[in-house]
Amino acid sequence: MSIDSTGFTKGELAKYPFLKETARYLSPLDLQIEDLVSPDMHQILDRAMERVTLAITDLTIRPLSSEQGKYFLKDLQKEILSFPVAIMLVSATGNSFIKKRYALAEAKQATCLLALESKMLILKVALDFSWKIALTSSDDVFDFILYFSDFLQNASHLHDAKWKLVNSTLSEGNVYLNKRNVVRLLQEEIKRRIERRFSNVSIDRYPSEISVLAEKLKTLAAERIEQAETDFPKIVVQEAFPPCINALYDGASKNHHLSHMGRFALTTFLVNIGMSVDSVTELFVSFSDYNERLTRYQVEHIAGERGSGTKYACPQCSILQTHNVCKNRDDLCKYIYHPLRYYQNKSKTALQDQLKNSKNTQ
Amino acid sequence: MSSRDFVYSKFAEFYNNPSSFIPAPTSFEHREFAYLMFKERFMVRHKRFESIQVFQSVLTRNVPSDVYHSCAYYEQPDLEMDKKGWIGSDLVFDIDADHIPTKCGKIHDEWLCQKCEFNGKGITPEQCPLCGGDRFSVKTWLCDLCLESTRVETAKLIDMLTKDFGFATNEMHVFFSGHRGYHVHVEDEAVRSLDALSRKEIVDYVTGLGLSVLNKTSKEKFGKGRKRVATAKKFKLHNYGWNRRLKIGMTKLLSTATVEDLKNLELRNNNLFKNKTVILRRAIEEGRWDSIPGVSVATWLKLAEQVKNLESANIDTVVTTDIHRLIRMNGTLHGKTGLLKMEFPAHQLDDFDPLTQAIAFKKGTTKVFVSNTPEFRLGGATWGPYKNVNVVLPTAAAVMLILKGRAEVAN
Ligand code: SF4
Ligand SMILES: [Zn+2]
Ligand SMILES: [Zn+2]
Repeated sequence: MSIDSTGFTKGELAKYPFLKETARYLSPLDLQIEDLVSPDMHQILDRAMERVTLAITDLTIRPLSSEQGKYFLKDLQKEILSFPVAIMLVSATGNSFIKKRYALAEAKQATCLLALESKMLILKVALDFSWKIALTSSDDVFDFILYFSDFLQNASHLHDAKWKLVNSTLSEGNVYLNKRNVVRLLQEEIKRRIERRFSNVSIDRYPSEISVLAEKLKTLAAERIEQAETDFPKIVVQEAFPPCINALYDGASKNHHLSHMGRFALTTFLVNIGMSVDSVTELFVSFSDYNERLTRYQVEHIAGERGSGTKYACPQCSILQTHNVCKNRDDLCKYIYHPLRYYQNKSKTALQDQLKNSKNTQ
Repeated sequence: MSSRDFVYSKFAEFYNNPSSFIPAPTSFEHREFAYLMFKERFMVRHKRFESIQVFQSVLTRNVPSDVYHSCAYYEQPDLEMDKKGWIGSDLVFDIDADHIPTKCGKIHDEWLCQKCEFNGKGITPEQCPLCGGDRFSVKTWLCDLCLESTRVETAKLIDMLTKDFGFATNEMHVFFSGHRGYHVHVEDEAVRSLDALSRKEIVDYVTGLGLSVLNKTSKEKFGKGRKRVATAKKFKLHNYGWNRRLKIGMTKLLSTATVEDLKNLELRNNNLFKNKTVILRRAIEEGRWDSIPGVSVATWLKLAEQVKNLESANIDTVVTTDIHRLIRMNGTLHGKTGLLKMEFPAHQLDDFDPLTQAIAFKKGTTKVFVSNTPEFRLGGATWGPYKNVNVVLPTAAAVMLILKGRAEVAN
């Protein structure tokens, strides 16, 4: 096999349709949105619909047995074409859950397949993402070296301690990795590329047939979301605050000076578990000599009622650890990576306990 | 003349002097500029300038006490934050005596409780020992030991940036901050686009946070629930990243430390000292960690933990992770000292002496009334200690004492 760092076979494009080369391959066909509903394109539209449906229901894009599905083993061109069509379908839903889920499903599928490929092909895919990556010499225990900035852009989203840079094999700017690690990092990169593609689709009017399909997908997704409903309790359960937030809360109530990050964490936490701007402001003011107008302004900003209009997320544990805000970790902390997850878990048990206790006393 | 006016006139002289060289940061037109007005104590922000010449004329006219530019590059630096259009940001490190324990114990700093006026010297307590209040006004000072402590941290940082991150020394810009520390800027293309989360990972690397060879427990599945169990896992280290640093650090520590030194680090296992030659060869070099009599996994872990503390660099974590940060501009005056923020080549870290080389006011003397100051070194001479006396001092020293709240112009 010749070492060509850009060329992919048709079969490879069918497996990894998010590659840049796919666009080059498809451009002579000049696919238009109107074409999709024409009868001879129907098969492709069907397969595209299948891709998205499976993504929503099973977080995959291929039916478990290829015989049952519409997956084109023989007609690779149709299989390739179904990918951009699926992107259009997902865009037509305008639904962020579907976008995220579809991107994740495609990325997971791709990495399952990549794990079986040669190092050379993995290298080619990584180069398609402009990674600074190279193969190591054949006697090395590692397969690849990857420049640390490419490593970080992907590994920083993974929560296991082994992905932390501090635990990596960093040397002279490169991280030494085996094949499996590189494939896992590629999953993040693939997911991001697909998510980005949704924001690049600029179609204002979809043919009615597409809109109908999009509605179907939205209904499907709504069912899914309902199943996975993980809302916070409607009331604030203070007993379920994680230790870091307790320490901040305590500090604020004693009018102690909080670091910028500490204050930010406390405010975003309270806002995100559903406390209103009024109550959070009131709380801060009741504690101490906080200036009411200034406090309200800051809380509104964080709650997204001012400025950019986006609600600020509460920082995850690793960020609070870096800035020394994580305090008094307890057992539950070992199993979560976000203070809100802690709250979610603990509030459930706390509420159950309360319920039990109140029954006992009655 | 009031003391404030005196310092103002000196700052004005500096910014009016055509030979005061203020280097332009790279990508000048994409930077946000900001400055603190000397008299009004008001921060002018979100400014964009066409050229360093234009900016310099603004400094001449306005005479700020402190001048900053963004570490970030923006499409439109003069718009409000949400609309600027972030392109990227330099990777910046700040090492400041404020944030680290120093050898002097900051005995020269004075704090005053704002509630009850109780005062003391040294590190500001978290709570006032008298009334429990936690707001203080602090008069800081900078001494040779402060600078030495920050220099040591900076050296460790630079070592990581070169050996582990692979930056050439000319890709790193090293500065004396103008006060009690150092700044390191990396402007490499590859780091500009890193997001806050990636920068946090770099911070954790530099500070050694989350290093997992130190984890005594590991996650294991048992029946239904997940349980954590202490594992007597084999201790081992590879030759990359922090693992390599630990080995080098262990070698350094064991070959120089006395029994007392080790005791002070809570390393009480005598075998570490007695068997050090064997340890250096068999364990650290050959990786046979389990072959040292009387040294268990737990002891290795303790040793590794201490070495991590010694070898990690103490940086201000917030500065590096904030991708919108303003940083003091090279070649401008620090409003707390009158010294310059000043760049010097990374390899000269050991030789660069801020207290002689970062002096902006080189001419003239002034008579000042000094309320209280320890002995200090500035511009190649040593002064003080002074208490409630009139003295004639070189301009640089007079300016510094006034800005530090320790002297007034004598009339
Ligand atoms: S681990 Fe997370 S939730 Fe627990 S104290 Fe630390 S930051 Fe808070
Ligand atoms: Zn007090
Ligand atoms: Zn000192």
